[in-house]
Amino acid sequence: MTRAILLPVGRDWYALPPVALQEVVAGPVVTDVPMAPATVRGLFNVRGQIVPLLDTAALLGLEPTAACPFAVVVQTAHGPAGLAVTGMPEPAELAWLVGPTRARGTVGAYAAGKRVAVMLDPLALMAQLHPPGGR
Amino acid sequence: MEVTGQEARFRAMFAEEAEGRLATLSELLLELERNGEDQELLSSVFREAHTLKGAAAVVGLADVLRVAHAMEEVLEGLRRGDPATPAAVDALLGAVDGMREMVPAVLAGDDRADHADRLVADLHDPPPALALPPDPAPPPSPESVPGPPPVQPPPRRERRETVRLRVERLDELVRLVGEASAAALRVGRVVTDQLGGEPAGIPELHDLSRILESLQERTLQARMVPFGTIAEPLRRTARDLARSLGKAVELELRGQETELDRGVLEQVADPMLHLVRNAIDHGIELPEARLAAGKPRYGTVRVHAAQLGSEVVVTVADDGQGIDLARVRQQAGKAGDALDGVGDDEAIYAIFRSGLSTAATVSEVSGRGVGLDVVRASLASVRGRVEVLSEPGTGSEFRLSVPITLAVLPCLLVEAAGRRFGVPMHSVVSAEAAGWSEDHVEGQVVIRVRDTILPVSDLAATLGVAGQGEAPASDSPAVVLASMTRRHAFRVDALLGQRNVVVKDLGRLLPRLALLAGASLEPDGSILLVLDVSGLVDRARWARSNGAGRAAPSPSPAVPAPAGPASVLVVDDTAVVRELERSILEEAGYRVRTAADGRLALAALADTPADLVVTDVEMPNCDGLELTRAIRAQPALTGLPVVVVTSRSSDADRRLAMDAGADAFLVKGDLDRRTLLEVVGRLLGLAVQPAGEAGR
Repeated sequence: MTRAILLPVGRDWYALPPVALQEVVAGPVVTDVPMAPATVRGLFNVRGQIVPLLDTAALLGLEPTAACPFAVVVQTAHGPAGLAVTGMPEPAELAWLVGPTRARGTVGAYAAGKRVAVMLDPLALMAQLHPPGGR
Repeated sequence: MEVTGQEARFRAMFAEEAEGRLATLSELLLELERNGEDQELLSSVFREAHTLKGAAAVVGLADVLRVAHAMEEVLEGLRRGDPATPAAVDALLGAVDGMREMVPAVLAGDDRADHADRLVADLHDPPPALALPPDPAPPPSPESVPGPPPVQPPPRRERRETVRLRVERLDELVRLVGEASAAALRVGRVVTDQLGGEPAGIPELHDLSRILESLQERTLQARMVPFGTIAEPLRRTARDLARSLGKAVELELRGQETELDRGVLEQVADPMLHLVRNAIDHGIELPEARLAAGKPRYGTVRVHAAQLGSEVVVTVADDGQGIDLARVRQQAGKAGDALDGVGDDEAIYAIFRSGLSTAATVSEVSGRGVGLDVVRASLASVRGRVEVLSEPGTGSEFRLSVPITLAVLPCLLVEAAGRRFGVPMHSVVSAEAAGWSEDHVEGQVVIRVRDTILPVSDLAATLGVAGQGEAPASDSPAVVLASMTRRHAFRVDALLGQRNVVVKDLGRLLPRLALLAGASLEPDGSILLVLDVSGLVDRARWARSNGAGRAAPSPSPAVPAPAGPASVLVVDDTAVVRELERSILEEAGYRVRTAADGRLALAALADTPADLVVTDVEMPNCDGLELTRAIRAQPALTGLPVVVVTSRSSDADRRLAMDAGADAFLVKGDLDRRTLLEVVGRLLGLAVQPAGEAGR
């Protein structure tokens, strides 16, 4: 059994290792960034620090989500980043691998109680910000 | 070999000290090459080598010690009277380079005994130096073939109380001070919101913000380094390259004391080296070609730095053959982007495109089309810009403008579509609250600023944040912004004023956001976006050309109106003064040409008339007084207003200038923007408040 934090994104559930999580911000006040790609929702203030808020669904190659009631702040090699989620994250135990996943930035689908959650690899997920041919 | 913790610390200290000493040695050796008989200079070189040897002995770096010892022996010979031949200096410089490479390698545990052996052997028996073609004998007349101008040795460094500090610690300090200032602003906001008082009315808060402001200023100052920090690599590059190409080149450095942020200087250093290399490789001709063209045998590359407001302007100018514009157009055409219909002033900027080279042959130095695009990118990364001027047969000049610091940026705050944005002040040419009236030229919407028309776009539409029916009215406020190479006007909802903004880089996590230079945290916790003017202007031009703007694209960034702005010829042999005056006048909307002496000024006037001349007095070839008399003697020019700007301030000098026919006399020590513009405006019969004054 592996401990994880479950993140609701649209109708899907994703999972993060607890160690990757810094904090959860409810109702982040987001400043839109003009002409930013769909993966970047904007910037928000986390305890006096300007942090980019990323669209988790867009990073996974899905339709960007409309609302962002919560932001999950994770640490990256280049400082903190927020992942937009559509509901309150919750802790869970991942029981076993139920199948592989195709999206970049994911490492497989796991059973988590009655749900199935896709485990995220935060580093690989952030790499989607710089698609090949980009910067 | 086992190294204890304490030894490791000493070795790290040695590495830092050696880096500084080797840089000094290199600089002193270059000077020694010119003044080989200067005993005091020789002693300084000897002292540096000796100290380095002693330090290497203390930390047990035997190979470094051997090389330093061999250097000492060669220098001892020079002190006894051996000639400082180019071969000897080459070997000494080679030893310096070798030690620069050896020190970190040896400290990392590599065995560099063979390398040290080679360096010692070269010092004892120097290989023949690459030499310039010998000067013709007998020595040519000074008028036609002058030797290199005399070089003033740099002042000996004074011993100062200093402490070495890791740059990261300083950066962290600057960051924390910036955050403390932002936090204090937030405290003020809380006081206003919860207690109903004004922060300025509470003495303790007022004191806190005053102290923090002072602290911020001092910590930013601590990051400042003189431009002269990169003098040594510039000199070295110029010397080595000139020698390898068989060219006679004099590098003239001025304004070395000009200070700018260490981070900015680091970004500017490589572009500077590249431009100096380019000037020598492509610009300066071989000695025979120069003599045949009636030029001095020694080509000159001038690198002048000066502070202009919140910017440092560095010019890299050469008196070589200039940029072959026809070839630039040809190469651009081959690359699939013909410059048909593009004026020369704009076409020249094609040299900054990736992959475009005008070098006839590909050399180790340049000619692969890699470089000038990198120069531009490096400057853009520090919000700098570059301008180019070139005259066939006369030379080229690159003018680099960079902000002194990136940590605190003076910004103009504007409102567009109900949102606030910061625009770096150094990119704001002018701002007009009442707006400028719009005109239509060839189906394009333009505004007229002074006597120039500029393309205009809505800021909100350009940023993609405009809502339905929110386009500002044609008489709404507007700002004229200057990107690296273009000017463009933007309509906004309101001008909110100017203030210093602590700008935070958005880091490397995000992809490049072309329209954003950074962001800042406001006292109320909101985020202010600071716009990237180059990206913004490019976006606006793209939108216009794709029909997304208010009008079709303009073929040129600034199409002169038929009457044209007043034209001023600035004449001064000091590039920094020339640039200062040009900058002030251009900012105020004048068209400015420059000349380096009176003779060139008369040639320029014969070619194209000017409306006014601003001239220095003491200049080579034809001084300012002779120039003024020559102007008064020519019927076509006799009514041309002449402003004399000189460092001589006596009544006798003033009388001499007036007797020669000058209309105004200004003293350089008292010269400021307002005075110059007032005098020029008065003589041209214009209003004293030019377009560039608005919003400044």
